[in-house]
Amino acid sequence: MTLFPLILLAFGLALIGWLVARARAARLQSSGRERLHSLPGQHGWYVAMWIAAPTLIFIAFWSWLSPALVVDAVLATPEAAQLPAAGFERQAILGEARALAGTEGLGAFNPLAETLAPAFEVYIARYAWIGTGIAVLLAFAGGAYAFTRIAPAFRARTQVERGVMLMLLVASLIAILTTLGIFLSLLFESARFFSIVSITDFLFGTVWSPQVISERDPGATLGAVPLFWGTFFIGAVIAMAVAIPLGLMSAIYLTQYAAPAVRRWMKPLLEILAGVPTVVYGYFAALTVGPALRDFAALLGFPYASSESALAAGLVMGVMIIPFVSSMADDSIAAVPTSMRDGSLAMGATTSETIGRVLLPAALPGVVAGILLAVSRAIGETMIVVMAASGAANITLNPMESATTVTKQIVDLLTGEAEFDSPKTLAAFALGLTLFVITFLLNIVALRVVKRYREAYE
Amino acid sequence: MSSTLVPEVPVTNGREPAERAPTDWKTHAMQSRIRKRYAAERRFRLLGLGAVALSAAFLVFLLGTMLINGAGGFVRTEIALPLDFPALSLDVEREQLAQRGADLALAGAGLQNAVGVAAVSAFGDEGEDYLADNAWLTVREAIKDDPSILDRRVTIAVPASSRIHLAATDDAEPAIEAAAARLNAAGALTRGFNWSFLTGSDSTDPTSAGIWGALKGSLLTMAVTLALAFPIGVLSAIYLEEYAPKNRWTDLIEVSINNLAAVPSIIFGLLGLAVFLGTFNMPRSAPIVGGLTLALMIMPVIVIAGRNAIKAVPPSIRDAALGVGASRVQVVFHHVLPLALPGILTGTIIGMARALGETAPLLMIGMRAFIGSAPEDLASPATVLPVQIFLWSDQVSSGFVEKTSAAIIVLLVFLLAMNALAIYLRNRFETRW
Repeated sequence: MTLFPLILLAFGLALIGWLVARARAARLQSSGRERLHSLPGQHGWYVAMWIAAPTLIFIAFWSWLSPALVVDAVLATPEAAQLPAAGFERQAILGEARALAGTEGLGAFNPLAETLAPAFEVYIARYAWIGTGIAVLLAFAGGAYAFTRIAPAFRARTQVERGVMLMLLVASLIAILTTLGIFLSLLFESARFFSIVSITDFLFGTVWSPQVISERDPGATLGAVPLFWGTFFIGAVIAMAVAIPLGLMSAIYLTQYAAPAVRRWMKPLLEILAGVPTVVYGYFAALTVGPALRDFAALLGFPYASSESALAAGLVMGVMIIPFVSSMADDSIAAVPTSMRDGSLAMGATTSETIGRVLLPAALPGVVAGILLAVSRAIGETMIVVMAASGAANITLNPMESATTVTKQIVDLLTGEAEFDSPKTLAAFALGLTLFVITFLLNIVALRVVKRYREAYE
Repeated sequence: MSSTLVPEVPVTNGREPAERAPTDWKTHAMQSRIRKRYAAERRFRLLGLGAVALSAAFLVFLLGTMLINGAGGFVRTEIALPLDFPALSLDVEREQLAQRGADLALAGAGLQNAVGVAAVSAFGDEGEDYLADNAWLTVREAIKDDPSILDRRVTIAVPASSRIHLAATDDAEPAIEAAAARLNAAGALTRGFNWSFLTGSDSTDPTSAGIWGALKGSLLTMAVTLALAFPIGVLSAIYLEEYAPKNRWTDLIEVSINNLAAVPSIIFGLLGLAVFLGTFNMPRSAPIVGGLTLALMIMPVIVIAGRNAIKAVPPSIRDAALGVGASRVQVVFHHVLPLALPGILTGTIIGMARALGETAPLLMIGMRAFIGSAPEDLASPATVLPVQIFLWSDQVSSGFVEKTSAAIIVLLVFLLAMNALAIYLRNRFETRW
């Protein structure tokens, strides 16, 4: 049986266990010799827990283990002796044979795959039945154990609640596991990359051209400085030049000047900008903004105008970040105590003088933290630069020229059909690690500042 | 500068302030200073208004461009093609048409060629180019519906090629423009809603490309995401908000969650590539892997929204439940959670909307292949709506421009519906304590 019917089976058995155990506990209660410690439903949950938990854990374990067992069994068949010894072709044939198993009448690309397919079919079915058998056995064993414990004095509720607490704890540990998983997987692949290319070549080299990697000195064309510069230039300079003034001024206008009705309508409207998927921005940048800017630059007489300019990507990215900056600024301005604002106005300052000399200085830490978060978002943004920026790694200050970013290069490196172990593929993970570390630091600093700032006015 | 606004008060060392004449606001200097300050005030205010207006204008321009470009994608141009079946002499047995092999029989009888011949005889030498590549499929369906048309002359509306379609709706090369005008004058061109756009899958021919395959891929992926992220997110929100002791471990969990919410999405794609594909050998481009990756991505969003919703439930409810003898688990699952549910659901829908629009992590796990049919199950190769938009945007053929924008419109409609649902839930069920 495949995964989903198995999971359904586990839940079905648990439901039956729940009903039976509840009925049994209810009968104990109505026979009335002794008072039950727990409600009949809680006895039901206890049995259901004992059925579902071991079965589901086994299913998870089995779905991870059984494909390997199937392959081992198939490799032991006489037909498998003709397989090439190792490497890509062997994997491809095995994969094709597995895909052929269970589908009828499809021709195979590789004749060997066709001879292996029946073996796959047999062993997949066999291991599926073994798995189902063990799962049912486990369910009955767990259920039977729990069922024998049903007694008036049995503290089913305490046991169930202990189980619930364990479940809650496990659920919240998944966040740590994810962070750890990200960090370790990036670190592991990067370590393999840095065993081929030296870390100084990567971090300080100024030539990035992964299309030509020489065997002798792979680090010579894998210097990431142009990418770091492009990322910084597009995400932290051009995008912020758009997002900070527009976002900050929008927040100020909407909180300090706008009539409540205007604010009620304009704020959600601007938030839509943040809800538009990035692929839409990317398409917009590539199709409309890029060519328009190129024509405009050509009109002004720029020599190297490109339709994949850094400006097009940065501009559109800035628009995307506006609501982000504006809502952070909104929050920090709103957190400044009203008494400070009222005091300034009462002294005769105009609203703009109050904003410029009282509110903004007081809200500055929050605003700066918001901008840091916005930068971290901009440099991690992928689709806009993938679609609108170019792949040419230049170190340039001219926004009309093309520049490339870390995220764009990660996508480019990983979408070719290269092997998993080549320095080209592994370089993507090294770039990913760099990106992760930088955004992680930006986030930690920004969240710290926001927290401390909030405490200052509370 | 403040010293210039108000006349300076002499330092008095704690004694009575020195006498000075009251400020004369009527003087010319004072009046012009006030005028300057008010002008600055107005300028600042206009600047703010301008920022809001400019941002809103960007939005309108963005959506307007997509709407104008994409409207054509929902329309298709059809050509009324006269077919003289007796003259075309298709070699087809009538009995075969009633059976399951009808498609094969008609294809074997050279129907595709015959349609081309009919187009040439009707519209001249280039007639075949006026029809879409899949025009003969429409004819095939018509024959299967009513085999008797094989004995007579009929006119069937078939999809026009994307060049004719573009010429009929937009500017194009003069030659094609003239051909379209000629067809139009002959009354052969009609336009209708393009149902095949909503029901078809990806194709190399823009006229027959549809989004159903990508949409189904998106729905399957979202189902996996929701099934994983919602329970795990809610459970960990409950733990952190209601039960977690304050210690180093729970601090670590909190920091992890807050950071995960801000980690770039492409990093989650790298995680999916290294862990789900690399370590666990799960199938490439499958909705289940996409769903797992996106679930990890939006789980922190759900946890944060869930914690805020749980925090908003007043302590008096917990105290009352504890007071009548409920256990701590019962307090949460019977009382706090139902009250917090609208807030949790709102956060979940917003997180799901984010996952639905996400592209980059799915590119990393290989969901960018050309998939010509809708995915069958969670493990079969699939693509999703945003990735389909990305793939079409790369196509050279100009017919894909309006298809891309039309797909964007469909995606935006879904996102809008989800956000509207979130707003409705919030307004309908939110309780202020």
